[in-house]
Amino acid sequence: MMSVLINKLPRNNIKTIITRSSEIQSCRHLSIVPSLYDDKDPAPTFFSSQVQILLKRLTRPDLSKVFRKRCNTGLFVLRTPTYKFLTDKELEAEIAKANEKAEQLLQMPPVVKMHQTINEVLSEDPALIGYDSCKYLFTDITYGVKNEHRIIVERDPDGVLRNCDHDIRKRLNQTYFPMNGRKIKEPIMFSDKDRFNDLLDNSKYEFILDRACIQYEPDEPKYQSVTSITYQHIDLKKCYEILRSTRHFGPMTFYLTWHQSMDNLMLELLQGNAIREAVLLTSLRQHIHGDVINGGEAHNLAQQILPTPKQSEKPENLTEEDIQLDNKCVECIEKFIVGNSAMKSQHELALQGFREHYQQLIDLSRGLRKAHGGV
Amino acid sequence: MFSKFLAFKRVVQPSSSLLTRCLNNNNIVHNLKFISTSSVYCVNFFNKLPAEKLWKSVTSVSNAGAKKGRGRGAGRIRIRDLNRGQVIGVGKINMLWPGLSAPVIRGRELLKQQRLPDDSERMEKLIKLRDSMTKFRRLKLTPIERGWSGNRMPGRSIGPPDPIGEDEFVGFDTKVLQLRSLLIMKGSLGRTKNYQAMVVTGNGQGLAGFGIGRSKEAPAALRRAKNRAGQKLMHFEICNGHTIFHDFYTAFGKTKIFVQMKNEGYGLKCHRAIKEICQAIGIKDLRAKVEGSNNLQHIVKAFFIGLLQQRTHQQLAEEKKLHLVEYRAENEYYPKVIASPKEVRTKEEIPKDETLDFIQYVMNDKVILKKKKFPRFYETMPHYQIYLKKYEKYRNHEKIRLNLKTEYGEVKSFLTERYPEEKAESES
Repeated sequence: MMSVLINKLPRNNIKTIITRSSEIQSCRHLSIVPSLYDDKDPAPTFFSSQVQILLKRLTRPDLSKVFRKRCNTGLFVLRTPTYKFLTDKELEAEIAKANEKAEQLLQMPPVVKMHQTINEVLSEDPALIGYDSCKYLFTDITYGVKNEHRIIVERDPDGVLRNCDHDIRKRLNQTYFPMNGRKIKEPIMFSDKDRFNDLLDNSKYEFILDRACIQYEPDEPKYQSVTSITYQHIDLKKCYEILRSTRHFGPMTFYLTWHQSMDNLMLELLQGNAIREAVLLTSLRQHIHGDVINGGEAHNLAQQILPTPKQSEKPENLTEEDIQLDNKCVECIEKFIVGNSAMKSQHELALQGFREHYQQLIDLSRGLRKAHGGV
Repeated sequence: MFSKFLAFKRVVQPSSSLLTRCLNNNNIVHNLKFISTSSVYCVNFFNKLPAEKLWKSVTSVSNAGAKKGRGRGAGRIRIRDLNRGQVIGVGKINMLWPGLSAPVIRGRELLKQQRLPDDSERMEKLIKLRDSMTKFRRLKLTPIERGWSGNRMPGRSIGPPDPIGEDEFVGFDTKVLQLRSLLIMKGSLGRTKNYQAMVVTGNGQGLAGFGIGRSKEAPAALRRAKNRAGQKLMHFEICNGHTIFHDFYTAFGKTKIFVQMKNEGYGLKCHRAIKEICQAIGIKDLRAKVEGSNNLQHIVKAFFIGLLQQRTHQQLAEEKKLHLVEYRAENEYYPKVIASPKEVRTKEEIPKDETLDFIQYVMNDKVILKKKKFPRFYETMPHYQIYLKKYEKYRNHEKIRLNLKTEYGEVKSFLTERYPEEKAESES
């Protein structure tokens, strides 16, 4: 008996230590306060065609990453590849088809306002008071009705007939019309703070965001808090590259801009020599808030930039038009830094770095052209 | 007749009475009291010859018989040491002999010669010991050294070919594919035995070759074959570092082989000789079906010819003057251009009857016969329908159990809480 007691004591101690350390950890992570879309509705801005185009361009889609090997496609073993002989025209058609598919894969999860609680009493029947001690739930399972329009009502023991709230609606919808991958019970990775933080620390952002898309509706508070914490964590660690070429980059950029915290992203773009994308980001801010000093200029520049190919694709073959456009961009960003930036000194330093790098590029391409006998 | 029997009894009686009396009154010493006058012949076949000669007479096989294979395999008699496990002084009758099988004085008592109760297990133990001697013990190989079957040579590794001058075969390994004895008639010597060996050697990075060697002795034949293989190395390109470039059909004599390229992780599903060749070359994933004759030498030759006749993707694209595009399921069937020719034909330039299907083209318009799959014999029977109906309601139980275990750590439902006595009963 004694030995059992002695054995138990140290174990308990270890347990308490573990829980304490985890508390400390969770405390550290709780410093990220999720900010939700709860006062103004972001949907009209997000779905406007200009913003959508800007967000898609900022995603910088790279087809080899869009069509990367995924482990959530339900393929448990690899398949033997198939081969085809194609003419030029057929190849073009196939690539066009693939681009369409890429568009589909890159479709952004919607950004909408958080829903309001439903509290709508349909009728009160005092005659039914005490009929039964439990609630009755009624679901209209007619085929072809959309989940959000389905009639789901509850009859309380006090005889009140009311529309169900969102959580009950979601549960019943999932029971009668199960969505593949969604669980009735919340997955542990979302309900357990420690596990969620572990995922964040291991940079499994895409996994979190993908799973959140399946598990929650976009107007659920839980979805918005999960995505908000993830976006802020990415912003803190500056791991934007992980989300590039995925469908989550757009909503993240939108979130950061909406909540006035896109300075880190701007810095990353400037340091990565993506000056045109920086202008697009300014234009996006002008669309959302309308507080950029040279907003009109940014819009005009964005219109010029959008038809040109991606900047990183051809770094060492600059035409005169490219140089002109880039110089305009630099001027625009200068004004932006003066007027709107919250990290002025860092932004200016990055811009100076870009100027020097760009001057080298210009010299190189002009020298090359001269060497090849151009004017 | 009767008188004769009496006479016989008279002869037998004295000796038998001597024995019984001796047994009954063994405490009384009566030396030289009963003397048998009948003569006993102690010399016979068994104690005249030594054990060695006796055993030889049983186990030996005539020269002609040995040639026919007699005295080998099952039913073969093996020499046993019958003295093993036997001790002087201990025998069939369990006697105590002071000074031989026991001490003369035990404590203060002087031990006397006496008969003890019989040990019934003694003979059984002896037989068991003798049986264990005769059991055939194989020379054991470790599983790594072992070849295709038992401790026979085919499939076993015999190391790299011998260095030529100062050039060593680094990273090479040789596998035996075949080792067999051939009988040749010679005018002066008559029928003589030769060994023939076929081996494949390779470095696992595209270089490989095979060789055949003949000799009077098996090891010499193997060595000769190995060194010949080292002299005849060929280089093969490996597609993406794991498979062949395309499916192909190849034949040698009556042997036909259909080879298919496969995805990563598929493994080598083919004839064991082809598997060894692939491992020597460095091919990791492939499927091959051998049809017709399965003469091993023909299989090896056919496979090597097929590998040599492969065309790379760039060559195929140039031949066809069309883009070669790859589609992979894991990449959502994204069209990846693998090879492009210098000039591409348009749709109008392609004749109507040209084969454009990739597999059909690389197989030279040969089509593999795919056998129809018949339903299992039980699937047409009425009891199978009954089984399906009966077990339909259980079809998701396994999944549910797994989910419950992950959620609660045990199989549990709302009913377990309502009826706790059921749980207590099952636990007890």
